[in-house]
Amino acid sequence: MKIKHQLSIFNALTRLLVIAVLWFMLPVLVQNVVYHHINNGLLEKKKKFIDHLNKEEINDFIENADDSTETYSQFSTLHNEFLVLSKVPMKAHQKKTTFENDYRTIEGEENEYRILQHHFRYEGEDYQLEIGSSLSEVKDLTFVIRFFIIIVFVVILFITFLADTFYIEYLLKPFYKIIDTKIRRVNEPEAFDHTPIKAASRDFRELDFVLNQMMDRIAGLFKKEKQFISNVSHELLTPIALLKNKLENLLQNDSLDDNAVDKIAGSLKTLDMLKKIINNLLLISRIDNHQYEANEEIHLREIVSDLHEDLQDRIEDREIQFTNLIKHDFIFTGNKTLIHILIYNLVTNAIKYNKPNGFIIAEDGFVDGYYFISIKDSGIGMDESQTEKIFSRFARISSDQEGQGLGLAIAESIAVFHHIQIKVKSIVNEGSTFTLWFEKAN
Amino acid sequence: MNILIVEDNKELAVEVYDFLCNAGYICKIANNCSDALEEAESNDYDAMLLDLGLPDGDGFDVLKTVRKTKSKMAVIVLTARGELDDRINGLHLGADDYLTKPFALTELSARLFAVIRRIHGFTLNNLTIHNFVLQLQDYKVSFNDIPINLTKKEFDIFQYLVLNKNRVITRLQLTEHIWGDILEVNSDSNFIDVHVRNLRKKLDKHAPIDWFETVRNVGYRINE
Repeated sequence: MKIKHQLSIFNALTRLLVIAVLWFMLPVLVQNVVYHHINNGLLEKKKKFIDHLNKEEINDFIENADDSTETYSQFSTLHNEFLVLSKVPMKAHQKKTTFENDYRTIEGEENEYRILQHHFRYEGEDYQLEIGSSLSEVKDLTFVIRFFIIIVFVVILFITFLADTFYIEYLLKPFYKIIDTKIRRVNEPEAFDHTPIKAASRDFRELDFVLNQMMDRIAGLFKKEKQFISNVSHELLTPIALLKNKLENLLQNDSLDDNAVDKIAGSLKTLDMLKKIINNLLLISRIDNHQYEANEEIHLREIVSDLHEDLQDRIEDREIQFTNLIKHDFIFTGNKTLIHILIYNLVTNAIKYNKPNGFIIAEDGFVDGYYFISIKDSGIGMDESQTEKIFSRFARISSDQEGQGLGLAIAESIAVFHHIQIKVKSIVNEGSTFTLWFEKAN
Repeated sequence: MNILIVEDNKELAVEVYDFLCNAGYICKIANNCSDALEEAESNDYDAMLLDLGLPDGDGFDVLKTVRKTKSKMAVIVLTARGELDDRINGLHLGADDYLTKPFALTELSARLFAVIRRIHGFTLNNLTIHNFVLQLQDYKVSFNDIPINLTKKEFDIFQYLVLNKNRVITRLQLTEHIWGDILEVNSDSNFIDVHVRNLRKKLDKHAPIDWFETVRNVGYRINE
């Protein structure tokens, strides 16, 4: 999940949490506010009633002392308020004024009321005054307030979610731009685009700046290595050329005896080996250093059949049966010379490590949309520990084999350079199969 | 044929110089860019062997300057493999061929022969050795006008040995000439012998070829 989505979702969730808390808190809050308000109203009414309570009224009450109810009551027409005065003896330590919620039936209609109870003494008598205010409206009101507030919040939640998403996206735009233009599309430091990315946040400007700096350093290193490779090639290969030419000229001397000729020929062979090792190591360095272009159209089928032709002498010399079963015309974009070397190395290995009268089969095909070419031989094969290290430089299966063990290291470097996967399957004394898996995009 | 050798390694220059003089060329050595340019301006050379890493500059600059005035001069760039891109660059700038160091002198003479022949409009079309005639145009060999059927590789081997007659050519040199500068170490194996054996059989049918020598353990030599 992208950071912009994560942030938006996180923001939305926290707001949702706030709304949920409010949903549960609102009734309590509203109730408190409403009760406080009603209480004040009731207190005011009580004050008015007590202030206006005159002798006559009390006398009325006293006169009707025989009245069984011993109550004076009064209520509004819609029963949302009532007032009751009754003669109730005061208990000890009783609070003078209390509030409570209770159900009362007035003229046959039961309602919940907020009731103020006030105890007072008048001319030696204890009275209880009750003033009630209906709660049904308040309940309705609480629900309406709650509902309304929640709707407002949901709308706010939705709007802020959208605003968040767009703003975060705007903020993160430079980040994706850096990834796209500066990191993903760069295969070598020289192709790096140094133009600063415009960003609203300083963090990304800093990231961009630091990336540029890092790339400069890497470019410097690449340049140094390139220079080094070039120097090594020139400085090492020139003396080898000199030695080689000297020995070749020496070989033309008629006065040499057979022994001397043999030694010179041997030295020339050693020199040739030295040259090839240097060239192979340089080749690996140059591939790993991305000093090759990879923009040629390569017909792999053609490469295999060309190689078959080129190596015909050696295949015949070892009396090996080479079967070319390549049937797809797969086109791959890369470096033709390198791909040629890659397949050449696999095929020459298959020749070198084969048994006399053995076979080599070149095959291709598609699995899950991925193209592969495999080179199968009937050679000496390898066990697991050997297959593990065959791609490392100077690794040889056994010491009695020819070669310097660079062929597969080169093959691997070329494969990595082209994003090709090399897989090996091998059984001792039965043979090995090297398979190249190509990327889908091609 | 006048040849200018531009090479900063003096010893190497001398080896090439000796070899080419022996082969009948008239040679001159320049060890740096300025000498090379001065020589090329003041004398007419048929060919220039140009090393790229020179102490006072890049061999390419010499090539560029020289190409402005001397279109008939053959230029063979001598370079180390590490400068691979340079090779392609060199061919674009007007080099006629390139050789990677270390190269065999016999290979150099074969390339030089081919380049000079091309520049002079293929006026030289035949090589003759002991009445065997190599027709360079169409890769055919004949003996007293009787055509001999050779494969391309056999013809190449024959031509290479004739061009470098009187010299011992090692199997390695032949292998590199026929199959190119292959990367495999110890690739020198007997499959070159198969071709040489076949070639000799075909020639032997027409005349005794005791001039076509096998140098024990080393290679072959054709004597004039």
